[in-house]
Amino acid sequence: MPKVTVDGQEIEVPNGATVLQACELAGKEIPRFCYHERLSIAGNCRMCLVEVKPGPPKPQASCALPATDGQEIRTDTDMVKTAREGVMEFLLINHPLDCPICDQGGECDLQDQSMMYGRGATRYEENKRAVTEKYMGPLIKTIMTRCIHCTRCVRFSEEIAGVDEIGAIYRGEDMQITTYLEQAASHELSANVIDLCPVGALTSRPYAFEARPWELKKTWSIDVSDAVGANIRLDSRGREVMRALPRINDAVNEEWLSDKGRYQVDGLSRRRLDKVYIRKDGKLVPAEWNEAFAAIAAANPKGSIAAVAGDLVDCETMFAAKALLGALGSDHLEGRQTGLDYDCSNLAAVNFNSTFEGIENADAILIVGSQVRWEAALVNVRLRKAAKRGAKIFVVGPQWDTTYPATFLGEDAAVLHDLPQAITEAFSKAERPAVIVGGGGLAKGALHPALAFAEQFNLVREGWNGFNVLHMAASRMGGLMLGYAQKGGIGNIAKAKPNVLISLGADELDYGAFADSLKVYIGHHGDAGAHAADIILPGASYAEKDGTYVNTEGRVQFAEKAVFAPGDAREDWTILRAMADALDVSVGFDSFAELQSAMIAAVPALGEEGLADFGQLPNADASIRASGAISYPIADFYMTNVVARASATMQRCSSELLHHDDLKEAAE
Amino acid sequence: MLADKDRIFTNVYGFQDWGLKAAQQRGDWDNTKSLIARGQDSIIDEIKASGLRGRGGAGFPTGLKWSFMPKESKDGRPSFLVINADESEPGSCKDREIIRHDPHKLIEGALIAGFAMRARAAYIYIRGEYIREAQTLQAAIEQAYEAGLIGKNASQSGYDFDVFLHRGAGAYICGEETAMIESLEGKKGQPRLKPPFPAGAGLYGCPTTVNNVESIAVVPTILRRGAAWFSSFGREGNHGTKLFQISGHVEKPCVVEEEMSIPFRELIERHCGGITGGWDNLLAVIPGGSSVPLVPAEQIMDAPMDFDGLKELGSGLGTAAVIVMDKSTDIVRAISRISYFYKHESCGQCTPCREGTGWMWRMMERLRTGDAAIEEIDMLQQVTKQVEGHTICALGDAAAWPIQGLIRHFRPELERRIEEHNAKFAEAAE
Amino acid sequence: MSFLGKIFTWWNGATIGTSLFTMRRGEKVGTDAQGNTYYRSRNKRDMTTAGSYIGAERRWVIYEGANDASRVPPEWHGWLHGSFDDVPESYLPPAKIWETEYVPNATGTADAYRPQGALERGGKRVKAVGDYEAWTPE
Repeated sequence: MPKVTVDGQEIEVPNGATVLQACELAGKEIPRFCYHERLSIAGNCRMCLVEVKPGPPKPQASCALPATDGQEIRTDTDMVKTAREGVMEFLLINHPLDCPICDQGGECDLQDQSMMYGRGATRYEENKRAVTEKYMGPLIKTIMTRCIHCTRCVRFSEEIAGVDEIGAIYRGEDMQITTYLEQAASHELSANVIDLCPVGALTSRPYAFEARPWELKKTWSIDVSDAVGANIRLDSRGREVMRALPRINDAVNEEWLSDKGRYQVDGLSRRRLDKVYIRKDGKLVPAEWNEAFAAIAAANPKGSIAAVAGDLVDCETMFAAKALLGALGSDHLEGRQTGLDYDCSNLAAVNFNSTFEGIENADAILIVGSQVRWEAALVNVRLRKAAKRGAKIFVVGPQWDTTYPATFLGEDAAVLHDLPQAITEAFSKAERPAVIVGGGGLAKGALHPALAFAEQFNLVREGWNGFNVLHMAASRMGGLMLGYAQKGGIGNIAKAKPNVLISLGADELDYGAFADSLKVYIGHHGDAGAHAADIILPGASYAEKDGTYVNTEGRVQFAEKAVFAPGDAREDWTILRAMADALDVSVGFDSFAELQSAMIAAVPALGEEGLADFGQLPNADASIRASGAISYPIADFYMTNVVARASATMQRCSSELLHHDDLKEAAE
Repeated sequence: MLADKDRIFTNVYGFQDWGLKAAQQRGDWDNTKSLIARGQDSIIDEIKASGLRGRGGAGFPTGLKWSFMPKESKDGRPSFLVINADESEPGSCKDREIIRHDPHKLIEGALIAGFAMRARAAYIYIRGEYIREAQTLQAAIEQAYEAGLIGKNASQSGYDFDVFLHRGAGAYICGEETAMIESLEGKKGQPRLKPPFPAGAGLYGCPTTVNNVESIAVVPTILRRGAAWFSSFGREGNHGTKLFQISGHVEKPCVVEEEMSIPFRELIERHCGGITGGWDNLLAVIPGGSSVPLVPAEQIMDAPMDFDGLKELGSGLGTAAVIVMDKSTDIVRAISRISYFYKHESCGQCTPCREGTGWMWRMMERLRTGDAAIEEIDMLQQVTKQVEGHTICALGDAAAWPIQGLIRHFRPELERRIEEHNAKFAEAAE
Repeated sequence: MSFLGKIFTWWNGATIGTSLFTMRRGEKVGTDAQGNTYYRSRNKRDMTTAGSYIGAERRWVIYEGANDASRVPPEWHGWLHGSFDDVPESYLPPAKIWETEYVPNATGTADAYRPQGALERGGKRVKAVGDYEAWTPE
């Protein structure tokens, strides 16, 4: 623990800290552009210059200088001030003064820091540099003249995303940042460079010229595009969500967000269900709420009602539906729409036990049937970190483009019963071995073989639990905790032939199996579910209601309501509450707070934000064998849920980045 | 004057063949085994005692630099020697002569120096424009391999040592040691942050020492003739002999080996046949390649040509590339052209150099024609100060110094041009 | 134009009085692209009369059609207000090919600008915050 003095204040800093970190610990603000906590140190913006003794009699870049014992750091001397002014002047001489038309305006590092640390006026009378425009795909808008060459974007794609897509060409003042051959950046985390860019060189294309940051209402929410549960901030103006930005949460998403979570929000204002529909003579016609409730009551739901939860619903909605079904004397609850039927008797066996933060430290990882890049892009970032720290990674399933070295063991899940020597060797030596079972693996019955694998290699040990299941739906873990899992899965419910089927935004469900039921769709987007429904009750999307979500590692998180649902749509729980009245049963709550406390009373873990404790792993059932060729459930990363399918941005990404349709505008 | 018997580079004029046989006749590769048999520490001590300072420009003591290398590899990483033959400094042409005419001195030096710092191999990074030189050097390396002088059991010493030649692509900045390492690794040639220094983590993350061609090439001779002989030349702290490259307005521009600390007048009179138009016609001299400040005639004439002597004049020896300018020179234009060179060669990594070099050049261009205000001279001086010392590598300093030198010594000339231009403009307006 | 028309449609062209004055004192200088005719006083005496600055020449325009001051194109506006004395054709540089035709102020006419969303333009406004596209079963 070296002791340093910052502006006369003596502090102790952790080993390996830089001078910049030491100054921050001492409460001094150090201006910076290229330095970023999660990226490697480049030291090229030269904005963080401070005076350090002992050392050469010139200012030093504090971001790259290790703090050593006895250093005397000054951040307030004339030398530092003039050095900062000088660097700021250099940054500004070739930076266009187009702040009024720049989307970064109001949240621009350069703007803020030039106010704080710059000179008042310019002395530069020569011509400014202009840089030709680059194309970086449908998400990233470039105005490269504004670039200050901090290379954060280059380092992000190289280090975090693991794709060598962005780089610098030419040298000196002609240096330009560009993508390789000016192709679109096409990995699923590409838009994070927009947040990283300290100036307006890389801005958001869908959000271009939409709003100024100070006009926006900021709401803390949870991303539902996958089961990672990334912490997001929804920026809304009036009744519209303008954009989603990641919040910092080191345990979940660090400060990244997948492109889908970020850009599906424009789908929230398209294909919305905003009025009640009832199917009459085979056609859906607009109707009144009372009419719809009467039709449901007429179908005689008592004792013969089922509820299927969609991928995006929150725990409160699922609990309200469960309470309604309970009052009607039914427990036909299911969330696994595609017909998966794995053993949920012990939730520890279907949880991501290592946690995302923990999986970084694993040193041998076996992935069974998961295309992690598409199923949980942010987990893939963690796996890449693990690989960089030396983890050996093996994958069972079809080949996909990993961003780290990985060994593919073939598509057949049966390989779990006949492990290659490379695996047994790596896992018997590993200190923190882990297995990750994905949806593709669960479909082939790989859960118990994986548990057996965990027993064989002692994956659960002191301070380490290496058994993980990676889900894809934001509602999955919450649903499993609330009992939305039947033995026999969805097939069992279909067999029971319920009179009424309540679909809580279930769009992946095969409604053909419920031909005889009255299908009530409570959801927010018109998609497969709405088309198949007999009655549509317009509900609220994740941005339009408060709710609890549980991510795949069993982390309970709470999302807030950002905007109101459009038209006649209601928050889902109120619909279910009103339905209870119409069906003449009592569900035991009259307000959202009552609903929540009832839910917490039923499942206490949902009342506490943070990791839920699911206890010990069950013993493996050796009689269950995994077999068959694994296939991945996601065919198109950008089209996995109703919001994304409705989003014009996601459609464009899908066609341009995945299907390579030439959608480039002629003007570009 | 350096006697012929004391010359290290006996074939610098290329009167003889560069090949192995001729080189051996000149004394190269003579019992290299016994030199190696002295042991690493003894070699480094000898070099330290000789007072050899790096010939690449900065003048860091070579023996000291070698002693920073790890004595033994704790984690299995090998050490490397990188030889800087990316000679791109305007005015500098000594390495070219060595590689053209005496490549075996360099290869033998590489072996001995590499052995002394426990290096596994030497990488010679040669400037991309040196096409014939690269061919010669490659041929010389092949000769040495064939003769068993390098490679497995190099020169029967029991030490395995490889020499690789790597051609650059024509970037001045790749002459900076860490940028050279980046370039060798196949990346964009941009200097790295220090620390870590190359001696800790350099090429491929392994301990690396980067030395100039001349520093390496003189090593075998120093070891053969002894540190005392080498240090008998030159003043205290500036020992040895040095290749001076005199270009510009002298009667006979040349590359010549001379002892350090030789007075400027003697150097020019003896080897170059004097200044064109006589000594009164001398305007200024850039004594160490484009990156050091110029020195006006009256100060340089009797100054000793060595590191410390030129430092006292506010300049530096650099690579000893002496650029002589007589009174026919448009001095502002000359410095402006140097400014353009640095603008062109800045790597673009860090802000002050990327933006500052362009600004300085544009301002120099206006000062050249006088299309400026007097106050702008002070502003230019301030801009150079804003670049100097604020950058990752020394290119920022190198770009700032020539302009500072100009302003220091030729400010009246700059002001005269501005006034002349303004007067002309005022006339035209009338 | 008929005599009666001239009396009763005073908003078109010159009134009788102006016509008479122009005939007597005016000297035609030129015509612009719209057919408006420009005059100046024929003799020096008028220079000091009312309506003109002392010493300046008196200049006026008789419109071809409606008496709308915005129908004077910029080049003749300059002449009319004494910015230059030569006729625009000789004083000003030739028009560039990229210059558009001069259009008088259209306010109040059918050609007047209507913002997007105005009823005259179909009443379809641009997308605003909070708009959404509802789903329909079809």
